[in-house]
Amino acid sequence: MTALLEARDLHYRHAPGAPEAVAGASVTVAAGEVVGVIGPNAAGKSTFARLSCGLLAPQSGEVLLRGDPLARLSRRERARRVAFLPQQQPQDLSFTSREVALMGRAPHLGLWALEGPRDLERATEALREADALDLADRPISQLSGGERQRVFLARAFAQDAALLILDEPTAGMDLAHQVLLVNALRKRSRSGGGALLVLHDLALAGAACDRLLLMLQGRVRAEGAPADVLRPEVLSPAYGTQVDVVPDPATGQPLVAPRIAR
Amino acid sequence: MTHRSAATRAGLAVAILLPLVALALAVGLSTGAGELSLSAALRGVEPDATVLFRLRVPRVLLAAEVGAALSVAGVALQALLRNPLADPFVFGLSGGAAIGTASVVAFSGTALGAAAMGGASFLGLLPAQLAAVAGALAAALLVFTLGRARGQLDPTRALLVGVVFNSFASAVVLSVEAVLQPEQTQAVLLWLSGTLGYEAMPLLAGAGVALLAPVLVLIVLAGRLNLMALGDEGASSLGVDVSRTRLLAFFAASTAVGIAVAFTGLVGFVGLVVPHAVRLVAGPDHRVVLPASALGGAAFLILADALARVLFRGLGAEPPVGAVTAMIGAPLFVMLLRSRQ
Repeated sequence: MTALLEARDLHYRHAPGAPEAVAGASVTVAAGEVVGVIGPNAAGKSTFARLSCGLLAPQSGEVLLRGDPLARLSRRERARRVAFLPQQQPQDLSFTSREVALMGRAPHLGLWALEGPRDLERATEALREADALDLADRPISQLSGGERQRVFLARAFAQDAALLILDEPTAGMDLAHQVLLVNALRKRSRSGGGALLVLHDLALAGAACDRLLLMLQGRVRAEGAPADVLRPEVLSPAYGTQVDVVPDPATGQPLVAPRIAR
Repeated sequence: MTHRSAATRAGLAVAILLPLVALALAVGLSTGAGELSLSAALRGVEPDATVLFRLRVPRVLLAAEVGAALSVAGVALQALLRNPLADPFVFGLSGGAAIGTASVVAFSGTALGAAAMGGASFLGLLPAQLAAVAGALAAALLVFTLGRARGQLDPTRALLVGVVFNSFASAVVLSVEAVLQPEQTQAVLLWLSGTLGYEAMPLLAGAGVALLAPVLVLIVLAGRLNLMALGDEGASSLGVDVSRTRLLAFFAASTAVGIAVAFTGLVGFVGLVVPHAVRLVAGPDHRVVLPASALGGAAFLILADALARVLFRGLGAEPPVGAVTAMIGAPLFVMLLRSRQ
C-alpha cells in the first residue's frame, strides 16, 4: 500500500546564501501511523513540516502524497489529501468557531464556495471531535489560546484529508485536551488516517507517536520507536543539556526531563 | 442558535436591503432644487419631464453606481489588508487620481492638452476623467509593486506606501495649483472633494456595465477572501492560490474605484463606513458582505446626495457630495468603531 506521505531527501534554504534549514531530511507516514518530529529550536522541524504539505517548495528532493508528486497536484487536490495546522493561529477574527471549522470544507466546495448541509454536518462533527462544539457560536477573537487551538484543530479535521500535519498542536492546550487530541489522532489512524506532528513535549511525543524523528541542523539525527529515540545518550547531545529518561511507573512509557542543578 | 447557510444569509441581506435602495431612489428622485410633479413628469409635461429624466434620474443612477463601486472596493481592499478600517483610497488611488486631474487642468491651455482633449472627447469622456482613472490605476500599480516583500503583497508595507504616496501627491497637486488660474483651482478643488454631476444616460449605462465585471470577480472571490483572513499559510493550505487571488481582487477593486473616481472625484468615507456598518449587522462573511455592501453603498450615496441638494437650498448653493459623506461618515465611523468594543 502506498504511504500517505513520502518525503525524500528534502533540501531548503530560506534565502540564497543562507544556511540550509532542511539539509536532506526524509520521512514516510503510512496509513494508520502517527509520526512525531522532535528536536531543539531551529532544527528545521517547522520548515520540514511546511515542505511536506507543499506550503514551501523544496530546492531539491521530492514529496509524494499517496504516491503522486505533490508538485503536480492542483492546490485543491493537495488540500484534500493533506491538512496543515500551523503553530500560530490568527487571533482577531470575527468569524465564529463554526464558520472557521466550515472553512476546512473549502477544498470540497464549488465555484461560489457555498456549503451544503453535508459540509455543515462535517464541521459540527469536527468541532465535537476537537471538543470545541460548545464554542461553536463564539467569535474567535473572544477565545483563549487553548480554545482557539481546538477550533483550528477542528478546521483541520473538517478538511477530511487522510494526512494531518500539525505543527505544535498542543501549544496552549491543558492536559485533558492534550489527551483528547492524542485519542482523536489514534481514532483517525485506526480508520486509515495518518499524522505528522511537530512536538516539543518529549513525554507527549513518546506517548502519542508510533515513531519519532529527531531532527538536528536540518537533518534527521535519529529515527525509530519512541523507546529507541527517547534515550539519554541520544537526547542529551542533540539538545545540548543532560536529559534523564525514566519509565512511567504506571504505563512503562518513557518520561523525559532535563536535569536542572539545584 | 441555528446556523444559517451563507446563501440564506446573503439572500436575507439582499431582501432587507432592496427595499432600502428603493426607498433611497424615491427620496433621491423627489428631492431637488425645485418642485416637481411626478405625475406631470410621467405625462411628459415640461419642464417636469426634463427635470426628472435629464437631471434627477441620471444623478440618482450615478450616485447608486458610485456608492456601490466604492463600497465593494472597500470590502475587497479591507480583506486584502486584513484591516477592516482601511479606506479604498489608502492604496494611493486618491493621490494618483488627483495628480492626473490636476495635470490635465494645468495642461488644458497647451497644445498637448488640446490634443488630449480631442482624443478624449472622441470617446465621449472628459480628459480629466480619463486622467483620473489612469492616475488611480498607475498609483495602484506602484503600490502593488513597492508594497511587496519576498514576492508577496505585504499589507503593512502596502498601506505605508499608499499613505506616503498620497502625501507626495498632495504636494504635487498643491504645487500645480500655485500656477493655475483661480477658476481652475476651484475646479480642481471641487473635484477633489467629490461631486456628483449630470452624466448622459449612455455613459451611465456603460459605466454600469463596466462596473459589473469587477463586482462579479469580487463576488466569485468572496469565499477565498474569507480564507485570506486565516493568513497566507492558512488560506494556501486550504487550496487558495493566494498571490493570484490577491492580484485579481486588488485590480478588480482598483478598477471599480477608478471608474467611480472618473465620474465623481474623491467621495470619501463611503467605502469605509458602508462595509463596516454591513459587517456589524451581517457578520464577517464576504459572501454576504459583498452583495450587501453594493446595495448599502448605493442607498447611502443616493441619500447623501439628496441631503446635499436640500442642505443649503435656501442659500441657492449646494455642497459637494463628498463633503456630506465626510460629515455623516466621520461621526458615524467613530460610533461604529466604539460599538465594536
